[in-house]
Amino acid sequence: MATQLIDQFAKNLAADTQAAVYDGSKKGHEKRTKLLFDTYADPNRLRELAGEIKQHVIENLDTFLPAVEAKLQSNGVKVHWASSAEDACAAVLGIMQARGDKKIVKSKTMVSEEIELEHYLDKHGIETLETDLGEFIVQIDHDHPSHIVKPIIHKNRREIAKSFEREGLGAYNDDPETITRRARQFLRHKYLAADVALTGANFVSVESGRMVIVTNEGNSRFCLAGTKCHIALIGIEKLVPHDRDLGLLLNLLGRSATAQQLTVYTEFISGPKSAGQPDGPEEMHVVFVDNGRTDVLASECKEILRCIRCGACLNVCPVYRQASGHAYRSVYPGPVGAVLSPLLAGKKFPELADLPKASSLCGACNEVCPVNIPIPDLLLRLREKGKREGAKLAAAGTPPMGAWSLLASQPAAWKTALFGGKIINYLPTKWLPIPPLRAWEAKRTLPEWKGGEFRSWFRNRKVGAVAPNRPDRKPESKEGR
Amino acid sequence: MNLAHRQLPGADKRVQLMATCLCDAFYADVARATVEVLEHLGCQVEFPEGQTCCGQPAFNGGDWPASRRVVRHTVKTFAGDLPVIVPSGSCAAMMFHGALLEFEKEPDLPEVQQLAHRTWELADFIVNALGVKTWPGKFDATIALHRACHTRGTKTCDSAVALLTSIPGIKLVTVGEVEQCCGFGGTFSVSFPNVSASMGELKLEHIRAAKPDLLVSPDMSCMMHLGGLAEKEGHPIKIQHVAQVLRDALKNAGLL
Amino acid sequence: MNSSREQILSRVNAALAPLAQRAALPDWDREMVILRQAQGLTDAWPLFAERMKAVNGTPLTSVAELVALLEKNNWKHGYCDPALWPSLAAAFPAGFTVETTYDRTRLDDYSFGITAAAGAIAETGTLVISDRGTSSRLGALAPWVHIVVLRRNQIYHDIPAAIAALPQDPNVIWITGPSKTADVEGILIEGVHGPGKQIALLVD
Repeated sequence: MATQLIDQFAKNLAADTQAAVYDGSKKGHEKRTKLLFDTYADPNRLRELAGEIKQHVIENLDTFLPAVEAKLQSNGVKVHWASSAEDACAAVLGIMQARGDKKIVKSKTMVSEEIELEHYLDKHGIETLETDLGEFIVQIDHDHPSHIVKPIIHKNRREIAKSFEREGLGAYNDDPETITRRARQFLRHKYLAADVALTGANFVSVESGRMVIVTNEGNSRFCLAGTKCHIALIGIEKLVPHDRDLGLLLNLLGRSATAQQLTVYTEFISGPKSAGQPDGPEEMHVVFVDNGRTDVLASECKEILRCIRCGACLNVCPVYRQASGHAYRSVYPGPVGAVLSPLLAGKKFPELADLPKASSLCGACNEVCPVNIPIPDLLLRLREKGKREGAKLAAAGTPPMGAWSLLASQPAAWKTALFGGKIINYLPTKWLPIPPLRAWEAKRTLPEWKGGEFRSWFRNRKVGAVAPNRPDRKPESKEGR
Repeated sequence: MNLAHRQLPGADKRVQLMATCLCDAFYADVARATVEVLEHLGCQVEFPEGQTCCGQPAFNGGDWPASRRVVRHTVKTFAGDLPVIVPSGSCAAMMFHGALLEFEKEPDLPEVQQLAHRTWELADFIVNALGVKTWPGKFDATIALHRACHTRGTKTCDSAVALLTSIPGIKLVTVGEVEQCCGFGGTFSVSFPNVSASMGELKLEHIRAAKPDLLVSPDMSCMMHLGGLAEKEGHPIKIQHVAQVLRDALKNAGLL
Repeated sequence: MNSSREQILSRVNAALAPLAQRAALPDWDREMVILRQAQGLTDAWPLFAERMKAVNGTPLTSVAELVALLEKNNWKHGYCDPALWPSLAAAFPAGFTVETTYDRTRLDDYSFGITAAAGAIAETGTLVISDRGTSSRLGALAPWVHIVVLRRNQIYHDIPAAIAALPQDPNVIWITGPSKTADVEGILIEGVHGPGKQIALLVD
């Protein structure tokens, strides 16, 4: 019987990669949970609140987007809009060409991965350098991030040391501190030589136009101290109504992403540098990116737009832990990716229609989500979409349900099957033409078939024998006997 | 989970039993124990003979028209206004949560909602509908409780813990990584056989580390997977449903 | 570009049009997000110092302590905000080179940078700096050691208070401990791009 692509990927995953992903995500989840419950009496109430705030945002984007645009403009920020990935790339290129700029230093932004910006700019002679340590390693390895927050969770120190040696960053040394120091020394001069700082944003306050960027390494700060122009690529869903909402969301983001009360650097940026400041951008641009988000907004899965990219659902997800981020074949892996990636794929939905199947629907993702996204419900909706649209990838391994549903809606046939099923107690299953049964038995035994035994017991027992003194007891329904 | 409004039993404590297809096919004694436990509590248990399945396999598989056909049959079979008791977290959740999703745009949504509001998982019903918070009898065993995933966001596991820990003789042990799924997941178990089995192995490791005499769950589907895995690898574990433990506790003390 | 704008807004309008009602903005109490351990504590500096240590920051209460720490580690060449230097200079003995203009062409020369605080948050051990109050973004970031000069009355008790008091400034930064990463095998390493040592110097 056919199995799912992600299951095959997990099966073939190198043991040390699997161990790295498993350990990294497990530790991440455990630290997150401990900190949340240590510091708050009722963390779940906070998650619900944050979810309600973000739901309010996405359901009011029609008024919030023009409002935040006006606020940003009054703060001295130039606002651009990009409905597609191509438009977003072109917007960045246009800003740079107008200034005659050639070099970008980049702080981590998932949107830039989504629109494949680096590749586009490279074709137009623009050099892009990743500055987040993990993203830098991904870049020199021509690899892809495998986690939203921990891009190289799939790599070990030995692989990284080899990459550094290959890139001329020093003789082989796999001590994580040495690796970090070498990246520090290499990158600090690059910030100063670059023309443009490219960042994403974690939040933008509609009230004040402040955008919030959080990093632990300080690379975003360095980008914004070394260069003269700041371009921020921001998904249209990243808004929050008021500054005060940030008090809730920042607390949840730090704890959920990396088990910190606050990420080390929380930057509130509302415009180009101040007049007397010698360092930093004199020009600031925001590019609001749609790239499929309005389709998501129009879909039955709009709740996924609440996502604040913390990665907590990846860390807790048993399937992610087994399969790793690359199994998801898209920028956003794990439970959030299994919903978001197929939706953002638009017409290419069938190519990612299997992602929503990569879940036992256990609900752990919803339980940890800082904005309380009902991920299992959204996965189910996408499974329905995949089935309705006849997506082949989604179908692999799922037994057809039509005949079963006919059986399960006809009591007489059902009862016949219940008694007939006893055959599996006597026949080796390899003789039976039932693929799911064989797939089951490849890994597990099947319990003894006792079809109809309960019904016989219930019908034949003496009424009142179990619970005496109940003269009012009525005989059982005779339906279907 | 949608737990908005749930119907309490009337003074005569008449209830309907949804035995679930798994108990119908494999775990007859779990259904029987459920009846014995409910009757011990003074309930009058009715078993609508036309019942089949809750519709979950097709729902989870994405075939919602097929699932709705089964749910419509179930709604018809369990017509009336009695509480419907289900000895399975996931089948109960299918009725009070999943079915509502797939009927969102259907004209007969109100009928599905009517059943949703009457559906209870067994342990939740005992504690939160009948108000029974402790359990009599005797049961000498060290027990690991497997928190079936579909009981997340419901009161089932807290209820089961309250009942089990109140039984003289029972020692409940803590299992590591309790939030992790066993890997069953319905059709997931056959379309993701490798990931499913790996998840199950991890779960078994944690369970064995806790050294229980018995693994207990409010859902037999998890038990079928874990028990089947353990047996396949030649180290079977003893599994039971919460209802069986409650029933046996009564029997052991001569209360049944 | 403008066509993208109209396209996006019209798609947003179309997506939201079918909604019978929009999700309301919930009301919530600021107390909810305050660290349980910080509730009821009102003496700002001790709480701040304890929380800052918890994130591997270094709270100091005298210039002498700072100088001793710098000397002990042989951090002798630094940058200082020209507005702060007159009040600190006397405590720095011979052997220190402190510049009041940051020369970006020599960024590896500086082992420490001293700049002014715009505030601090006690419950998280966070320092707040602002663009207008910081003499050089690079001076506050590139050296291994960053010292923020703080006065007691600048400390907010908690995050909601600090947000309510965010200054009108294009670039406000909350700093909670030294720069760090756990990208390599989840192992914590401090001092990635920013300071490996983050110091708060209380001056009253």
